[in-house]
Amino acid sequence: MEIVATDFWLPKNGSSEAEYEDASAIAEGKLRFAVADGATETSFSKIWAKQLVRAFVDGRLSIPIVTDELGPLQSRWQKIVHRHPLPWYAEEKASDGAFAAFVGLQFFDARSETDVKTNWRAAAAGDSCLFQLRDGKIVESFPLEDSGSFNDRPNLLGSVANGNGSLETMSRAGGPVFAGDVFFLMTDAIACWFLKEHERGNKPWDLLQGQDQSSFRDLVTNLRAEKEMKNDDVTLVRIDFIA
Amino acid sequence: MADVFGGGEGNQKKADGAADAINRMLQNLVIKCAKEEGIRDYFHVGVIGYGAQVGPAFSGALAGQQMVPISQVGNSPARVEQRNKKVSDGAGGLVDQPVRFPIWFEPVANGGTPMGQALGQAKSIVENWLTQHPDCFPPIVINITDGEATDGDPTVAAAEIRRLKSSDGEVLVFNCHLSSQRASTIEYPGNGDGLPDKFAQQLFQMSSTLPEHMRAIASQSGMSVNEGSRGFVFNADLVALIKFLDIGTRPSALR
Repeated sequence: MEIVATDFWLPKNGSSEAEYEDASAIAEGKLRFAVADGATETSFSKIWAKQLVRAFVDGRLSIPIVTDELGPLQSRWQKIVHRHPLPWYAEEKASDGAFAAFVGLQFFDARSETDVKTNWRAAAAGDSCLFQLRDGKIVESFPLEDSGSFNDRPNLLGSVANGNGSLETMSRAGGPVFAGDVFFLMTDAIACWFLKEHERGNKPWDLLQGQDQSSFRDLVTNLRAEKEMKNDDVTLVRIDFIA
Repeated sequence: MADVFGGGEGNQKKADGAADAINRMLQNLVIKCAKEEGIRDYFHVGVIGYGAQVGPAFSGALAGQQMVPISQVGNSPARVEQRNKKVSDGAGGLVDQPVRFPIWFEPVANGGTPMGQALGQAKSIVENWLTQHPDCFPPIVINITDGEATDGDPTVAAAEIRRLKSSDGEVLVFNCHLSSQRASTIEYPGNGDGLPDKFAQQLFQMSSTLPEHMRAIASQSGMSVNEGSRGFVFNADLVALIKFLDIGTRPSALR
């Protein structure tokens, strides 16, 4: 099987690209993929989201993520944040830490005596989601399964040690992969829209077929204008398994 | 909006309490909007002081200004004091940690509580704002006071403000009553039954019901609120209220 992966992204409407706080990373060679969503109400969360996805695709974060793996990333975050003296408000804000939702996906071969099968496993914190599609059906919706499960206070990964509580609440999933399967990693706004459309009996994945960066941006812009999608940073990684 | 001056005994102490309350509120609002690149202008803020005079009450560089973008507020405190904050020592105890405490608003003890006049001024500022920003998030008028109005019934002026609206909803009026009575704290009550005096009940009546999105955030933060809960606190600060202002994803682990 051949893997083709593409990422798409768009900042919140009214925000500049510099204000975009999601992150995605693709390492086709290592069969690792991730998206993260830095929380709007924390500062330096874009850096934190980027650190998480890069560390995951480099193999510095495992499934499940353990505290010891997060420690070096948190120290690095502190160093970056305090490179320059901060004004009073930035100092106060940084002491609370940055937070991000995260979903990381890894493919691996499971060997038995007779054959080798491709499998996937994933870990998620908060409301970034993974969907696996086969023959025009969702076969996995992880970690959230319905559009009503999204709220504004998800359990996220923190850049300060006392924000680590959510490691215990991180979800894990896995299963087999077949030729023709499609995986999506999404941050919350587009994931919520995706599930809502599915619940209405529609096939939102059809709209995500054959997109390029520019048509993806048009699609999201229209969905926001029609109030079908919350105005938030949007990030999507699409992974196709081709026979 | 804040009653800076107070009246009667313990003036200075009560005035300090009101000034601290407003400074803490501004500080929290700034921090809420702070990002690595600076402060995002999610809000504009005006502060009206009322006592011997009624008018704009920022000190320092912002003196005399009516409405100021939150980035300017954050970058222009009159001064920054060093204070101590109690933080966990990691072993079950608390230790003092020095923090910078910005001051925009100075306490001044002086007679009179012309609340009606102050609310009237707030109303005209809000009306003007709504003309310029008809689709904005509905403005919030926060009245922090330690005394009873000395210029007549303030409920009329409060009702007039509550009748104003943007295309997004009605203007909200919240009240914070700092009393010298040794009465326990009351936050966001659904009725006026447990309130200690007529004046507290009047401020409760003047307060808007918390809108649904604020109630949702309050509940998620573990606060006890119901459908009738109003934006009123007695001998408590309104810092929690800042958390109810929705500007985006807020981690559940964050205080």
